Amino acid sequence: MALKLYLISDFNLDTLGHCLANDQSAPQLSVSSAPFGQVLPPLLTLSDCQAADFVVVWTSPEAIIPSFAESFNYKSIDEDQLISEVQQFAELLRKAHKRCQAMFVVSWTIPHFRRGNGILSLKQQGTRRLLLKMNLQLADELADCGNVYLLDGQRWMEAVGKYSYSPKLWYMTKTPFHADLCRRAARELKAAIAAVRGESKKLVILDLDNTLWGGVVADVGWENLRLGGHDYLGEAFLDFQKALKALRNRGIVLAVASKNDESIALEAISKHPEMVLRVEDFAAWRINWNDKAANIAEIAAELNLGLQSAIFIDDNRGERDRVREALPEVYVPEWPDDKTLFASQLMELDCFDAAYSTAEDASRTSMYAAERQREFSRKAACSVEEWLISLQTEVTVEEACEANRVRVLQLLNKTNQMNLSTRRLSDHELQVWLQPANRKLWAFRVKDKFGDSGVTGILSLEMEAGSARIIDFVLSCRLIGHKVENAMVAFAVEYCMAVRLKQLHARYIPTGKNKPCLSFWMSSGFSQNESENRFTWQLCDPYPFPKGIRVSPPHAYGSLVRSPQQLSVQAERASLPVANN
Amino acid sequence: MSIEPRPSPLSALSMRINDGRGSNSLHRSVDESSTNDTGYLDSVLRVIYDSISELNMQLPKHLRVEKSLAEVLLGTGGKLDSLTVANFIVIAEQKLKASFGFPFDLTQDDAFSSETGYFRTVQSLATYIAEMVEKHMSSKALS
Repeated sequence: MALKLYLISDFNLDTLGHCLANDQSAPQLSVSSAPFGQVLPPLLTLSDCQAADFVVVWTSPEAIIPSFAESFNYKSIDEDQLISEVQQFAELLRKAHKRCQAMFVVSWTIPHFRRGNGILSLKQQGTRRLLLKMNLQLADELADCGNVYLLDGQRWMEAVGKYSYSPKLWYMTKTPFHADLCRRAARELKAAIAAVRGESKKLVILDLDNTLWGGVVADVGWENLRLGGHDYLGEAFLDFQKALKALRNRGIVLAVASKNDESIALEAISKHPEMVLRVEDFAAWRINWNDKAANIAEIAAELNLGLQSAIFIDDNRGERDRVREALPEVYVPEWPDDKTLFASQLMELDCFDAAYSTAEDASRTSMYAAERQREFSRKAACSVEEWLISLQTEVTVEEACEANRVRVLQLLNKTNQMNLSTRRLSDHELQVWLQPANRKLWAFRVKDKFGDSGVTGILSLEMEAGSARIIDFVLSCRLIGHKVENAMVAFAVEYCMAVRLKQLHARYIPTGKNKPCLSFWMSSGFSQNESENRFTWQLCDPYPFPKGIRVSPPHAYGSLVRSPQQLSVQAERASLPVANN
Repeated sequence: MSIEPRPSPLSALSMRINDGRGSNSLHRSVDESSTNDTGYLDSVLRVIYDSISELNMQLPKHLRVEKSLAEVLLGTGGKLDSLTVANFIVIAEQKLKASFGFPFDLTQDDAFSSETGYFRTVQSLATYIAEMVEKHMSSKALS
């Protein structure tokens, strides 16, 4: 089903609307526009009647900020007044943003032919300086609105060049921008929507020879690879590696799929003095003579990531075509023959844009390294049970709070496999959902002797008279099978028993990607009503906590249900009947 | 950008504007073109088809413009609304400048009026632009 996008602008944005509506790439959009030239009324009245998933607000600075318009006439500007007008506009956006999943506000720009005060443009009262100040103020004002994104319109102009603005189109149609700019904006908005929907890529799978370095290592030896040094191509490969390392620091996982001799390739990675990326920077690799598509599928499976999360980069067109054909879910961008363009090509990709950045993202590659160690230890253990006990897993339960808000949203919106209902919510929607006292949401922080995985699970409950229903049951795929899922259920059962409920239900909603979740619930011990995919636990019996997992603190919700009085208060807040002891 | 197969310049020239709206000058330029005109018409058509390809990227399938001489752009049976025409003009002007090396203004002299009919079909537009190119090149040669 097409997502609904609503355009608000003080100029004619129909060309952008056409570009968005006719772009066949996912997600499909159904686009509508506010009445021509109106900005404030649609923002003031933006409500459920428009039922828009996303709103785009694109305005010209001289139309929205009257003081700025005066700067075009070289009049003296009261900068306090200018800032106050920006604040008023930001306040309107702050009020309106709660009525949609996400709002995209395009930063203010002016055409290149407006020279303004020329060499004084960036001095006091200079047009460009005022514009920078206004945009910065707007960004600051909107900083705490989680679902409002200020998009950098200036970068779009730079990408399109001097034909971004078209005076002829302005006079003929009241559209200031050339169709090229509208197409660019459409592409950027689609990337932004994908980011908000948690569809950004998480895994880059790389070829080695003539991709990560110049030359074929098996032919020339690692000492003679073109990488770094006083060599223009060597520098280009070095910069490409630096750009990949920067991605890794952002939480994008790197892996290698190369037709090579593994020992020779790994030796090059370890020994070449100018390598920026070392073995520890790669979460997985398949260096052999097998089909690359098969290797890529294996890497994704090893990392527990869906193929749709992966992007494959290879200098060889034949390999790119092969992977595109065999694994259409994997994104295989066209790659330039010119090696000096590798770094810029990578940096320009919009598939890594993400709406959130968490501590868990930043340490993702280290987490995979820890996972490799877990896997080694599993192979060495006599039984799965013994292995699980040896991990010394600790689960810390936290109530939903500001500290875990972003990570909770990320898990909710990105997790596919161990996800009971695959409910996708914006920040605002989640806050609204959590308001009634009969709803609870917990985040589960997991660590073991190999490392801290951070917040990796969430469970939410909705309680009604006598029973509770698990609404969200989400666990990062890295931890599937570690019995953390059992600990989460045991926690929920214990909580429900403490507040004197009789039954706990869970209803599985199939998506095509969440079969692992069904498997878990079918083996969970809950009774199953197959026709409704509904699972039930009678709360007269406790649910066993899995052996070897410590819930830390042991009764994480103990402080909440410590005394009968508190129980009573809690149940009352949740509008629940309280059983007499 | 690919250019779809099209009639040869000679067959294009042999085609008459048959919608009855073309001006005399339009008929003249099609019927009495010099060898140079034939060359310009061919180049102009390439640019127009190229511009149509770019324009089509923003149009829904049912409104996309065909790359054929007889395709009606404006007037009865035309597919383009005013916004789309404006976008087409700006795209075409930019590409024409890049091709021929001098700026074009396709909106001068009542280009949209039914009397001149320059924007009636792809063919009439191509002929009109080829005349502009011819005129510019001649004046350049004279100077």
